[in-house]
Amino acid sequence: MNPLHSFGMDTITLAGSLEAKLAAMKDAGFEQVMLMARDLVTHPHGVAGAVQAVQASGMRPTGFQVLRDFEGLSGHLHSYKVDIAQSMLKMCAAVGARVLLVCSSTSRHASDDLDDLARDLRKLAMMALPLGIEIAYEGLSWGRTVNQFTTAWDVVCRADCPNLGIGLDSFHVFAAQTPLQALEEIDPERILLVQLSDFMWQEVPTFEERMTTARTFRVFPGEGVHSEQLAQLVMQLERMGYRGDYSFEVFNDDYQQLPLDTIAQRARRSALWLRDDVMHRPAPLPAWASTKA
Amino acid sequence: MPPLTPGREAVPDMPNRLDMAGLEFIEYATTRPQAFGQTLQALGFLPVARHRSREVTLYRQGRMNLVVNAHPDDARVAATANDHPVISAVAFRVRDALKAHQHCLALGAWDAPSHARAMELHIPAIQGPGSSRFYFVDRWDEFSIYDIDFKPIPGVDPQPPSLADMGYFGVVQYIGAGRSGPWMTYLEHLFDFTPVPDDQRFGILPKGKLMKSPCGQFLWQLVEPDPGLDDEWRSEERLQRLGLGVPDVSAAVQHLKSRGLSFVDARTLHPEDRGALTRPVMGVSFELVHQG
Repeated sequence: MNPLHSFGMDTITLAGSLEAKLAAMKDAGFEQVMLMARDLVTHPHGVAGAVQAVQASGMRPTGFQVLRDFEGLSGHLHSYKVDIAQSMLKMCAAVGARVLLVCSSTSRHASDDLDDLARDLRKLAMMALPLGIEIAYEGLSWGRTVNQFTTAWDVVCRADCPNLGIGLDSFHVFAAQTPLQALEEIDPERILLVQLSDFMWQEVPTFEERMTTARTFRVFPGEGVHSEQLAQLVMQLERMGYRGDYSFEVFNDDYQQLPLDTIAQRARRSALWLRDDVMHRPAPLPAWASTKA
Repeated sequence: MPPLTPGREAVPDMPNRLDMAGLEFIEYATTRPQAFGQTLQALGFLPVARHRSREVTLYRQGRMNLVVNAHPDDARVAATANDHPVISAVAFRVRDALKAHQHCLALGAWDAPSHARAMELHIPAIQGPGSSRFYFVDRWDEFSIYDIDFKPIPGVDPQPPSLADMGYFGVVQYIGAGRSGPWMTYLEHLFDFTPVPDDQRFGILPKGKLMKSPCGQFLWQLVEPDPGLDDEWRSEERLQRLGLGVPDVSAAVQHLKSRGLSFVDARTLHPEDRGALTRPVMGVSFELVHQG
């Protein structure tokens, strides 16, 4: 088994074309990639060209991001967002991603009634269902009503839909300072995606600081000051029985101006740190040992 | 409503928010309507009318309407692979088609645009599995929708009797591995289908999960791929097969054999009186199911 199995990079970390990003990730040993809608629509050969590039790379899409400010709207705003969601779902299906990431709403036009939010997420999950897509609902740490994974989980439970679960992002967990023990309340089968990143500040108390840090200055797991917490998070998820993917959601302005292979190697080091020093997963057997005589 | 028998617990009616009342028609899409029509005729369906503007033929027997869509501009026709006809639509009878359509859209169904032309009936539809559609028809009681869009074929009995007392029994939908739960939720949420317990099975292919329509008039069978046969998680989910209910399977099989249809030998699976499966012609099979 590939030592980086279950770890993947996000295209948002790297500069350059989609093909160059995929090649750098693959060269570093990754087999999966978290894609962003912009990867598809800005491709010089359009969505079809991007889909072809992903297929040709042999990389498995971890998921597709990101639908924002969907839930809790009404009237024409709701209709507009349904339309946007359907376009996102079509792209998600076209590129072969099984998970669409949905971030909790920041809109002041959205309802703060959790049942309203649940109703809309259920509708979204129903839209996604015939396409074979699951919806991972993530509590942004600056979300208006839902800004912790505990509340996101509450909404997911209220919606009660088999293809709806939560997406966990370590940045938002640490920024919001949600106690990790609260993870115990969550059914690991319904954690559809885990995004990992570290950052350099001890605390990000205001929404503005969280936004700025989240969008410009995240680092790979093990590179920041929350490594121990991050290790605890991962170990707890493993103990709970989470066996899904970990993607590195690292927005970093510096990484955007460094060679792709340099950054991909940093991601590789981070994945190996998680595998060897945090999860203590056994090293894979060499190829000759698993080949039948 | 008070219980009919004093002291007895009231059994609530199953919800039927669409006021569903059975199947109005089944549509197949094919690039070879003549060849497929021969199979349908062997099965007892007769062509009774042709669409006014599209290459679409209405077949009928007894209470069953079956539409064969061979219109070259229809994406669902173009999408048929290997010249194999596919079930491209299922039309549900409902009390109010517009309301049913809006109800489903509000719950997350995808709208399916109509291609009705001037003076033709606009039948609201949502997208079904694969490239199929679910139609909602409310004009099935007072007058026939077919009178508007179709022209009768001259000299043909517009109401041919059913062969072997056949009627629509249900639809078999093929789904991806591990997808029974999600699809059951979908059908329950949108249409108020209810699960049939696993120990209640019909026909000779008692696989997968069964659901019952809220009107109780037809069943819906969800079948996942056999383990090991198909690793592709999203292996072309589709409406695969039609189940036809008959009171006497053995008699129906004999009758249909005499008309040129052949059957998969069912004796190794179950006694022949529970059901029978036609050998595929152009990739299409029909399942006979005993219906009391």
